[in-house]
Amino acid sequence: MSFALRLMLRDIRSGDILTLVMALIISVSTVTSIGLFIDRLQLSFEQESANLLAADRLIRSDGVMPVEWQKKAQNLSLKQAERTSFTTMMFAGDTLQLTQMSAVTDSYPLKGAYLVDDTLFGTGKNSTEPPKPGQVWLSSRLASLLNIAIGDQVEVGEARFVVTKYLVRDPGSSASSFSISPRAVMNIADLAATQVIIPGSRVRYSLLLAGDRAALNDYEDWITPQLNDGQRWQTPTQKGNRIGDTIGKAESFLLLAGTLAVVMSGVAMALASARFVKRHLMQVAILKTLGATPRLLMGIFFVQLFILFIVGALVGLAAGWGIQGIISSLLSGLMSTTLPEPSISRLWLGLATGFVSMLAFCLPLMLRLINISPLSVLQPSAKIEQNTLLIYCVGFAGMYGLMCLYTQGFLLPSIMTLAIAGIGIVVAGLGWLAFRLGRSLTSGATSGWQIGLASLYRRLIPNLFQLLIFTLIIMLGLILVGVKSSLVADWQQQLPDDAPNHYLFNVQVDQIDQIDKETDQLGVIRSDWYPMVRGRVISENGKSIQELYPEGTDEPDLYERELNLTWASTLGKGNTLTSGDFTADGLSIEQRVAEEANLSIGDKLTINIGGNIVTLPITSVRTVDWGSMQPNFFLILPKEALQDYPANFVSSLFIADDNAQPFYKAMSQFPTVSILNVGDILKQIQTIIGQLSQAIQLVLLCILSAGALVLLASVRSTLEERLEEGALLRVLGARKTLVQQALFVEFGALGLFSGLIAAAGAEACLYGLQVFVFKSPASWHPLLWGLGPLIGICVICAIGIFASRTVLKVPPMLLLRDL
Amino acid sequence: MMTNTAIKVSNLTHTVTSNTGDLTILKGINMEIKEGESVAIVGSSGSGKSTLLGLLAGLDVNTSGDISLYEHAFSSLDEEKRALIRGQYVGFIFQSFHLLPSLQAIENVMLPAELKGDKDARKKAEVLLDKVGLSHRLTHYPNQLSGGEQQRVAIARAFASSPKILFADEPTGNLDEENGKIIIELLFDLNQSQGTTLVMVTHDNQLAKQCSRQLIMSAGQLAEKTL
Repeated sequence: MSFALRLMLRDIRSGDILTLVMALIISVSTVTSIGLFIDRLQLSFEQESANLLAADRLIRSDGVMPVEWQKKAQNLSLKQAERTSFTTMMFAGDTLQLTQMSAVTDSYPLKGAYLVDDTLFGTGKNSTEPPKPGQVWLSSRLASLLNIAIGDQVEVGEARFVVTKYLVRDPGSSASSFSISPRAVMNIADLAATQVIIPGSRVRYSLLLAGDRAALNDYEDWITPQLNDGQRWQTPTQKGNRIGDTIGKAESFLLLAGTLAVVMSGVAMALASARFVKRHLMQVAILKTLGATPRLLMGIFFVQLFILFIVGALVGLAAGWGIQGIISSLLSGLMSTTLPEPSISRLWLGLATGFVSMLAFCLPLMLRLINISPLSVLQPSAKIEQNTLLIYCVGFAGMYGLMCLYTQGFLLPSIMTLAIAGIGIVVAGLGWLAFRLGRSLTSGATSGWQIGLASLYRRLIPNLFQLLIFTLIIMLGLILVGVKSSLVADWQQQLPDDAPNHYLFNVQVDQIDQIDKETDQLGVIRSDWYPMVRGRVISENGKSIQELYPEGTDEPDLYERELNLTWASTLGKGNTLTSGDFTADGLSIEQRVAEEANLSIGDKLTINIGGNIVTLPITSVRTVDWGSMQPNFFLILPKEALQDYPANFVSSLFIADDNAQPFYKAMSQFPTVSILNVGDILKQIQTIIGQLSQAIQLVLLCILSAGALVLLASVRSTLEERLEEGALLRVLGARKTLVQQALFVEFGALGLFSGLIAAAGAEACLYGLQVFVFKSPASWHPLLWGLGPLIGICVICAIGIFASRTVLKVPPMLLLRDL
Repeated sequence: MMTNTAIKVSNLTHTVTSNTGDLTILKGINMEIKEGESVAIVGSSGSGKSTLLGLLAGLDVNTSGDISLYEHAFSSLDEEKRALIRGQYVGFIFQSFHLLPSLQAIENVMLPAELKGDKDARKKAEVLLDKVGLSHRLTHYPNQLSGGEQQRVAIARAFASSPKILFADEPTGNLDEENGKIIIELLFDLNQSQGTTLVMVTHDNQLAKQCSRQLIMSAGQLAEKTL
């Protein structure tokens, strides 16, 4: 033990141990920092989204919930709040208005805050407490409709309330279905006194929970089997909602980034180990001639690896912790919320990475080292007898294992491993051809260009290996750049800054011109007006829906409820025709609902519109971008089919913050028009998207830096041979510029080849990722084709020339002696 | 007085496999080296001298025949046991010195004793380096020493394990005449004072002549040179 330690301490001076420890530190710290950072981001997203839900988790029910549900939450030490939402008439003297009322417990909201103001249409200040008993908060719109102000009294059912605040935002409002009536909030203690809830009333009960993640998961496991059709368990980042999807994509990206970091770490470890082994071959052979037995050597290396692991892992973990702290603090200036503290429990990932790296990349090579024949001291050409393929297999298996560990799944690691193997074959084939071509073009020549190209072929295997590593690293970087750009572009496209944030409903045809005038005066951007007529599909190709989907079977969305129908002569914004003719005399159906109901062009639907039956064939199918925030419809009918029915009109608008107050005031002249404000949820989504974009850029930067370090290590790994050759050339009288030119050509050619192959590989991988992982349309990335070769040539040349600068400065004699 | 046999070789044949087929490097060699003898193996390049030296020292395993060092038959031992025997009986000096570049002169010399777990490794190394005239170079690294100095460190290292047999492969091959002489003197002095058996491969006739026996290697076969 002490001998192994002594030997290692002496070895530190040679720098090889340090290279190995550095590689391990890079591995552990990259994975740790990214792991911790992702964890913090996820927690932060959850918190942001929890603010929208007003809780960490929520159970929504159409009926009163059993008392046991609250008891269970109490047993698990979860914080609780209740919200009862219903539509009711609110009276202020002789004026009355249908109101969306929420009655909440004192503990509401568990997350986030109310935004309330003392002035009508004010922008609001945070309040984490709900109204006290006897008080009610009204939205400015409701107050202006009722023509009352703070301090006035209103009546709800049998109870009277004093208006104490104007409600700007209810933290849980976005979680419930959008309601068109203006909002009000009261204390749940007054609910019984109102006597508005009677058997048969349409009431939505919500039980809100917050607390420890494990306890919430326990609660979820317990409650899920008990939920009936009218009850739903909601989480902040649920799939299917926009925030959930956005975060899901970002998580996929970060996971991918982290996995690529794992691969790079593996490469770094493999390179450092290979260098260590190469430089220790003779040392081990000498030790063997001095009587060191394989068992003793094995003991020595085990001890050394163990110490290396401890040192590398500890420093790596500390560095990883520090790096994620730096990333977070850099980001804190940009992010609107502070990130939650990282959890120490996530550190195991870095430790596991270090351990598996040692096991997969270091140990097999070390064992190989032990098997070197002592005869090498007499015959340096004596080969190590061990299956090289086996070593690569172990390394590959280790890398795969690490990726599986990291992603907690097999799909992504399998895709990546196959891609890397495929690229290995392509690189070997193309590289061989290119080097061979270079050689045949330069035979018998002595210029720097020719020497450079010739040496590519002369060191064929190491150069092919290096080409593979360069290609891999550049490709991984390009993939990340590509994914990041298309992801961010996709998000920005999804939600432009001027995405509509208000809907106007219940607009009568004679109000349209007036509203247009008002909005034009305010400079508000508005979508087209769409007429809206309610109707229900009652049969499909002559067969009634009840017949097709008897009680108890799962109906498609299209048949489940009454639909909003419209007519239009041209395709609206965000709609794309996929088949058929939109102008034909028939129905235009949205693609997803058509697929769900198994409908295609030619199928006939019968619709009941206010008691009149209309049967029409489907003549076109279109996709709808539901994220465009434009009014969108499952079914669009020909104008003739709907024009005789009374229609309400709907439109969406973008109201800038400073325009909100004048807009609401202007709209108060149209009391029958309903306004739905989705701006808050949109803002929240935009904030999250903004944070995600910045976060993934930082992670990208972090990984690219790690990639540059690996490139450096890779160049260094073959530097000695190049230095030796350069020194020899100088001894033989070559000018400095010749050696410089030869090195430049060699590195430049390697960089160019790897950059080109990497661009091709990245393009292929991006196609797969876009189509299968991110589920977005595939696109072409011309940027990568320029960036790949450029990075390849510039970075590799710069690193190579910088690392070999000694060969150009130091007297050749000194170099030869050192080698 | 009966002299012990240090090395005994009978019917030694060694074949290696190359791209062009099997190549027999050593053919039916028989020899015996007594304890305390100094033997030079001479011959032209490629005659198999170094291969024979490697096999005698147990660095490689022969194809057929027997080699024994102090009655330990190498042919039947695995690398683990051969290493133990090397540690117990054998010291080496190489043409290209083979010092560990990351270790100082003193640390290089300490290695064999340290491998045996000797607590006095440092003291012994200091004495040996003093004997080879390098007490002022203890903490120098190999690349800070001249060729002659490096070989003197190598000699000190070879004697550090108090070997019974010293194998030397062209010990002066990389040195100029003056340094070569110093090395030879040192080698024979230490050999004599420690009572070591010396087996040396060399091209240098002068050096070979200083040995008590000379064996000539030619096309894989061995012949005793009679004076």
